[in-house]
Amino acid sequence: MIILKEIKKHSLNYLILGIILAVSLFLLFYFQLNFDVRDERILVCSTAALYFIWSLFHHHRRGDLQLSVILEYFLLSLFAVIVALTILV
Amino acid sequence: MARFISLLFIPQEQNNHRALMLSPSFLGIFIAIYLLNQSIISSLTMLKPGILGYSSEITTQKVLSQTNVERQKMGLSLLQYNPVLSQSAAAKATDMFTNNYWAHNSPSGKTPWDFFKSSGYKYSVAGENLAKDFYDTDGLMKAWMNSPTHRDNIINGKYQEIGIAVVNGILNGVKTTLVVQHFATPLNAQVAVKKEPSTQSSEEIVVEAPLALDTITEPQIIPLNQSLGTSAVSPMISPLLISKIIGSIIFALIIIVLSIDSYITLKNNTHRLTGSSASHIGFILIILMLLIFGRQGTIF
Repeated sequence: MIILKEIKKHSLNYLILGIILAVSLFLLFYFQLNFDVRDERILVCSTAALYFIWSLFHHHRRGDLQLSVILEYFLLSLFAVIVALTILV
Repeated sequence: MARFISLLFIPQEQNNHRALMLSPSFLGIFIAIYLLNQSIISSLTMLKPGILGYSSEITTQKVLSQTNVERQKMGLSLLQYNPVLSQSAAAKATDMFTNNYWAHNSPSGKTPWDFFKSSGYKYSVAGENLAKDFYDTDGLMKAWMNSPTHRDNIINGKYQEIGIAVVNGILNGVKTTLVVQHFATPLNAQVAVKKEPSTQSSEEIVVEAPLALDTITEPQIIPLNQSLGTSAVSPMISPLLISKIIGSIIFALIIIVLSIDSYITLKNNTHRLTGSSASHIGFILIILMLLIFGRQGTIF
């Protein structure tokens, strides 16, 4: 219930995130089918960057953009990029 | 100890209503653990090349039979194994290891057709398929068949013969298994249409052992059932697999803790200044899918 309330309250934010993640997922499977490692690397790095930018937008609109929150999203995005660059060789 | 574990996983007053494992410090620790693992893998690969590497089950026979199965499905004639073409493919694989490149054309400008010619094979039409880092023949063939250009080589009715090479070596500092297929039709043979060699044709030669790369500089005839050299140490652990497992464990752990954290926070209706757990889970799931369903190997 609370989750639905939160999504309803910030519907535009979550719609944007949903589109980013859905497009990434689609492209990820597409590139895997085509065995295109270079594009997969670019995709994961782009998704991580977009996720971080989205977090700034989302928390700014919510009015709770704090350094600890920025750091949390940054580290998570960075971890994804590191993993992608080491796995997709 | 139990108290500390509880603080790690369960949001409560003592950890400011956020599981400690989701704090920036712990995310930093996860990154450090992952990078440390990568450093250990790289060091082991460099210092003890036999310990880590790709454990490939690919054999010449399997590649040949699966290639012909694909051709049979299309109603095409079976490719005949040609040891001279295998010699050409082995020379190509060796050249890639020696000169440290991964491409149809070498940095010095050598084309695939140069290997055909230097092995003494005269073709009317020829082609090359390359692959590296596949664990098994099924995955390798699936990758080639999913790629239109590689598929065109495999099911090209103009080819009559094939040579295959499966060679282990060190490429860019990492132990790698290269597979080279050289497809061709002899010059004097009857072909439907004569044309210049296509860049997607493949010739196959299989060499299944880690080679001193200069061992195949002299032309040798490679019978289908014989490997060029034998592997003294068969690498059993793939560095890529270790990285995938460690990455998957860490991300799965973060998802579990995020789920517990979300459930308890929502249940208690706690308001706090943190990132959105639901969006974190969505983002991490995509990375986890990459780790779990990520394909093996690369083709060229």
